Amino acid sequence: MSKRITINPLTRLEGHGKIEVFLDDKGDVRDVYWQVVELRGFERFCIGRPVEELPRIMPNICGVCPTPHNMASVKALDDLYGVEPTPAAKLIRQLHYNAFLVEDHLLHFYILSSPDFVVGPTADPAERNIVGVVQKVGLEIGGKMIDVRRRCRAIVRHIASKPAHPEGGLPGGVSMGISEDDRRWMRETADLCVQFCQFSLQLFRQVVLDNKEYLNLVLNDAYKLDTYYMGQVDENNRLNFYEGKIRIVGPKGEEYALFDCHDYVDYIGEWVEPWTYIRLTHLKKIGWKGLNEDETTSLYRVGPLARLNVADGMLTPLAQKEFETMFAVLGSKPAHHTLAYHWARLIEALQAAEHMQRIANDPLLTSKDIRNMDLRLGKVGIGCVEAARGTLIHHYEADVDGRATKVNLIVATQHNAAPICLSVKKAAREFIKGPQVREGFLNMVEMAFRAYDPCLGCATHALPGQMPLIVNIRDSEGSLLRTIQRS
Amino acid sequence: MGKPKVAICWLGSCGGCDETIVDINEVLLRVAGAVDIVLWPVAMDFKYDSVKRMKNGEIAVSVVSGHVRNSEQEEIAKLLRKKSQLILAFGACACFGGTPGLANLTTKTDILNWVYRDAPTVVNPDGNYPQAAFRVNGEELTLPEFYGRVFPLNAIIDVDYYLPGCPPPPYLVMYALSGMLENKLPARGSTLAPHRALCDSCKRNKSKPDRISIREIKRIHEVEADPDVCFLAQGIICLGPATRDGCGESCMNINIPCRGCFGPVEGVEDSGAKFISTVASILDAESDEEVVRIVSQMIDPVGYLYRFLLPASILQKKG
Amino acid sequence: MSKYKPKLVCFSCKFSWGYLTDEDALSPEIENWVPLICTGKIDATHMLEAFKAGADGILILGCPEGNCHYQDGNYEARKRVYLVRSLLESFGIEKERIRIELSTDPEGKRIRESVDDMKRKLAKLGPAKKKSEEVTKARGGK
Repeated sequence: MSKRITINPLTRLEGHGKIEVFLDDKGDVRDVYWQVVELRGFERFCIGRPVEELPRIMPNICGVCPTPHNMASVKALDDLYGVEPTPAAKLIRQLHYNAFLVEDHLLHFYILSSPDFVVGPTADPAERNIVGVVQKVGLEIGGKMIDVRRRCRAIVRHIASKPAHPEGGLPGGVSMGISEDDRRWMRETADLCVQFCQFSLQLFRQVVLDNKEYLNLVLNDAYKLDTYYMGQVDENNRLNFYEGKIRIVGPKGEEYALFDCHDYVDYIGEWVEPWTYIRLTHLKKIGWKGLNEDETTSLYRVGPLARLNVADGMLTPLAQKEFETMFAVLGSKPAHHTLAYHWARLIEALQAAEHMQRIANDPLLTSKDIRNMDLRLGKVGIGCVEAARGTLIHHYEADVDGRATKVNLIVATQHNAAPICLSVKKAAREFIKGPQVREGFLNMVEMAFRAYDPCLGCATHALPGQMPLIVNIRDSEGSLLRTIQRS
Repeated sequence: MGKPKVAICWLGSCGGCDETIVDINEVLLRVAGAVDIVLWPVAMDFKYDSVKRMKNGEIAVSVVSGHVRNSEQEEIAKLLRKKSQLILAFGACACFGGTPGLANLTTKTDILNWVYRDAPTVVNPDGNYPQAAFRVNGEELTLPEFYGRVFPLNAIIDVDYYLPGCPPPPYLVMYALSGMLENKLPARGSTLAPHRALCDSCKRNKSKPDRISIREIKRIHEVEADPDVCFLAQGIICLGPATRDGCGESCMNINIPCRGCFGPVEGVEDSGAKFISTVASILDAESDEEVVRIVSQMIDPVGYLYRFLLPASILQKKG
Repeated sequence: MSKYKPKLVCFSCKFSWGYLTDEDALSPEIENWVPLICTGKIDATHMLEAFKAGADGILILGCPEGNCHYQDGNYEARKRVYLVRSLLESFGIEKERIRIELSTDPEGKRIRESVDDMKRKLAKLGPAKKKSEEVTKARGGK
């Protein structure tokens, strides 16, 4: 009699999804399906809209990572109008962008991932949340995190309007400049961010790396996936979130491709399966080879670990040191250990914070020259940024009146969709053995999934109290065999 | 008597409304201490089954964000209506349909064909399309059914209160939450935001001439807008006069015009229609040719007028 | 198609149209006739509500240019008409379904003629796509 486990809805992530786990007669995992259950059609209803409205509409794709959509959109407009933003405008945009990245990355770490390590992956679920973390490391930390988040979002609001839905950004520049008064509090925020990122890395070291059990978990094969990696780098192959070329490296570290975002269609393919609304990206030139990680694989990953795998180094000194340490500990580059995403995420936050400092101290930041008005409308505009969760591409085509005629979006989490399915499957196979389904297995499976921060570093304080999770085990006729409750 | 139960749920939502709830920062912890949150999928692990087991009306307030455009969203909306005393439609999507409501200008088939067949990166030799039910290896996998259009929340269930905005600003969230918890609320059906138009509190209002009269409509990226002067007086489309106040001028403050995320002012149903009269009144055009010329410069009327509001507009609303 | 009888709503200003005739005498001849004092009173809301209620077309008869009793009500009406037409195109409702004439006809004879003329044009266009019905039906469908 086959068994089936449905986890629905998936919680503590952006978007709506469910996981179906199928067990064989022995109770071992036969197959796992991670299904995304929603679709909205942005690529179609943006057609007919004036293109300068798109940076205002696109952030509605995701209220947790709206800034990357806003930024990719603005860059697509720069491209469409053949205009280079002024140096000051570029600084302002990157200040906005880095402030968002710091906030988003730190939030994911503290709210979603740190509980698993600070409190423990199989600890009592009631304590496995931010409150449990705070109890272990101190209330002050919770306060500091709220403060950093508030300050970073104040920068976003000041430059681009509402942090959950920034609407600023114009082709060739930004709509509003920065004053010297602004610079003062922004610089203060940047300094605080650098400090807090360093503290967070220290915490990670203390709690995870210095703890043999957790370090083994990070290096455990169940959480390992051999794939290609994609990320954006500058001319020195250093990680750059805002601009650069897209680089792909293979599972053994060799460079597979280095291309301008205009050529993305040659490299990225989107495969369609009938059981999920999300399209499964893969390397087009290799072709779809299914959900596998053997030598024929065409799967690649994006996001923090992928970016560090792809880059030869970081843009800023403190982050660079951490980068070197990480690969030394993990023992290889590229590192395939999925849980190392959490580590890489903190290193990225540090780079973003250091970059914020650099910009906040740049004399050009307060220049009044914030708009390049030499706009020449072309037919196609493509903008690419590294969103918190991975490479993000906005591709627009417009008519002679500047109305969108065609829109194609490659969204960060899509790149990871197939690898997520695979990671969940592997973890499920490792931790579910035999007919007795262990209560703790759910979280170990979720950890495989959570590491990717799939399109949502849930920006919230996970509140104390019950965290019930109900697993219904059904037979092949759908009758309920057993219910496991975790509360 | 236990703490009042509160559910915070998202339907067709981007998550921005949940972010804005978190933006009330330390106040959230106080609120959390005063209530019993029984559902918050983005943050907590309660599943729908636990809500299904509750008694009708057991939840004091359900804060619902997002529009409805699939079968699961409809199901959850109806479930929460049954189990809750009060439903608060939270954010532009729940109140009016939101930006994704623009999809009502296209069809489900058009969306599916692009996403799964025609987009340049799609590789789909077998012509797969997501199915509501699909058998794989002897098991059936299901997906919620994707509807042909987007609905605001009140087209699906009765709504007690509205809080518009994309997203609602934290200070209004605080007022709404404390109003609900202290039972200090206006009549059912009210919108928990100021009644008047954005122009009422806009700093640029002082710069408005007695009579605005424009001969050209300008697009924001083609000009360097004066940050102190009324956008309409500069010929730039700004929906301030037809939009409810309360957002804190987040867009005006970075020198871009209003796009109407707070919806219509008190007493008005369709702000897009009202705004047409506003635009007409500021156009300096008498002859037929003049009118045709200048009206054609407003190149996307439905997009400007109804960016957040299409499903709730006169032509689209139910009934 | 021969069964289709277009529903036309006709707004006309009393200051220029039919003021020499008894309204009650004219009205049986003109279906959905809304005589008013100044076409400037017609809001875009009224036009959209008309289509929502099932109209296939709208005819607005206003005063000649320069002759509005309230100075510029007729000009405002014309600007609104053009804006509404532009909006309706996105809903699949053709421009030709709203017409505005700025002229004078004290006897009111031409009201009937204009209405009939427009109805003939509407008959050729067919029923207005009732987008609200279509989209309500579309729930769960295409």
